[in-house]
Amino acid sequence: MASRLLFSSLRQVQKLQKACIHGRSRIGNREVVGFGYNGQYSYQDRVDFPMPAIRFKESTPDIVALREKEKGDWRKLTLEEKKALYRASFCLTFSEINAPTGEWKSIVGLACVFMSIGIWIVILEKLFVYKELPASFSEESKKAQLKRMIDLRVNPIEGIGSKYDYEKGEWKK
Amino acid sequence: INRFVLEGQMIEVAWTIVPAIILIFIAMPSLRLLYLMDEIHEPTLTLKVIGHQWYWSYEYSDFIKVEFDSYMTPQDSEDKSTFRLLDTDNHTVLPMNSFIRIIVTAADVLHSWTVPSLGVKTDATPGRLNQCSFLMNRPGLFYGQCSEICGANHSFMPIVVESVNTNTFINWVSSVSESSDDWK
Repeated sequence: MASRLLFSSLRQVQKLQKACIHGRSRIGNREVVGFGYNGQYSYQDRVDFPMPAIRFKESTPDIVALREKEKGDWRKLTLEEKKALYRASFCLTFSEINAPTGEWKSIVGLACVFMSIGIWIVILEKLFVYKELPASFSEESKKAQLKRMIDLRVNPIEGIGSKYDYEKGEWKK
Repeated sequence: INRFVLEGQMIEVAWTIVPAIILIFIAMPSLRLLYLMDEIHEPTLTLKVIGHQWYWSYEYSDFIKVEFDSYMTPQDSEDKSTFRLLDTDNHTVLPMNSFIRIIVTAADVLHSWTVPSLGVKTDATPGRLNQCSFLMNRPGLFYGQCSEICGANHSFMPIVVESVNTNTFINWVSSVSESSDDWK
């Protein structure tokens, strides 16, 4: 008697273990209806894999009764019953899956926030952090350096020396 | 959506092999050219460049022994037309239209002798001589800066190559060597 109890409990444990391995225990009372996305008992709303492995809702007695009625003539089903049958097996319709989510608004908003933080950092750096430019950046210095570059005929082929007309002493038009 | 773009073995093999063949046909002449470009064509002159922290020193020892150091001109100079961080006190005078070979080394840490307008960049490694050659076909000043981080004043050791005609070069070399002889 004790051994029979032991064996029966062992068998239940085995079943539980098998159920755990195959995931059947995680899905509750939902019926398995096919292979699905990858052979596992998961439900996903995907346009490229439209038939999930399990139904969406658990089987209740009225759904089971509706399924029996579904086996007969479909013209006898009302629109409400057809909708109930669909929603028992699926969570979203195709148009609901492909509907726009409006996620782009929050993405654009956050991107603008981060860009403005960056711009603020640059402004504050310019005001408080950076030192003065060296003396060679003054207009007078820049003019003198440019004159020296022209006199030296720097880059005479395609650069600044090529843009100056040396015969006339002025920039080329 | 993506199950029609997986597992296409034939086309994947094809679009791997065909570009590989095309690239081999591109690479072979290119490598040949690369090695051809590095040949030395009977240099007229050899210049030795030694990098120090933080200046360059040059030696011309082909006919007369000339040595000098080249420091950056300080930034608080009065002259408004100096190029900040680029001008040096002594220019490296070299003759134009002649092949010049430079041998670059360093005395302490890594430096790199660069003149971008001449297409020259040669690393200066202590204990090693690196050779490079170039030809200048117009007179003028060619600027460059040290291109290997070498310490606090790495940005402040520029290079100025002054390209002159051969007579001017000979006069310059004799005047520099005489002035250094006067020292002695």
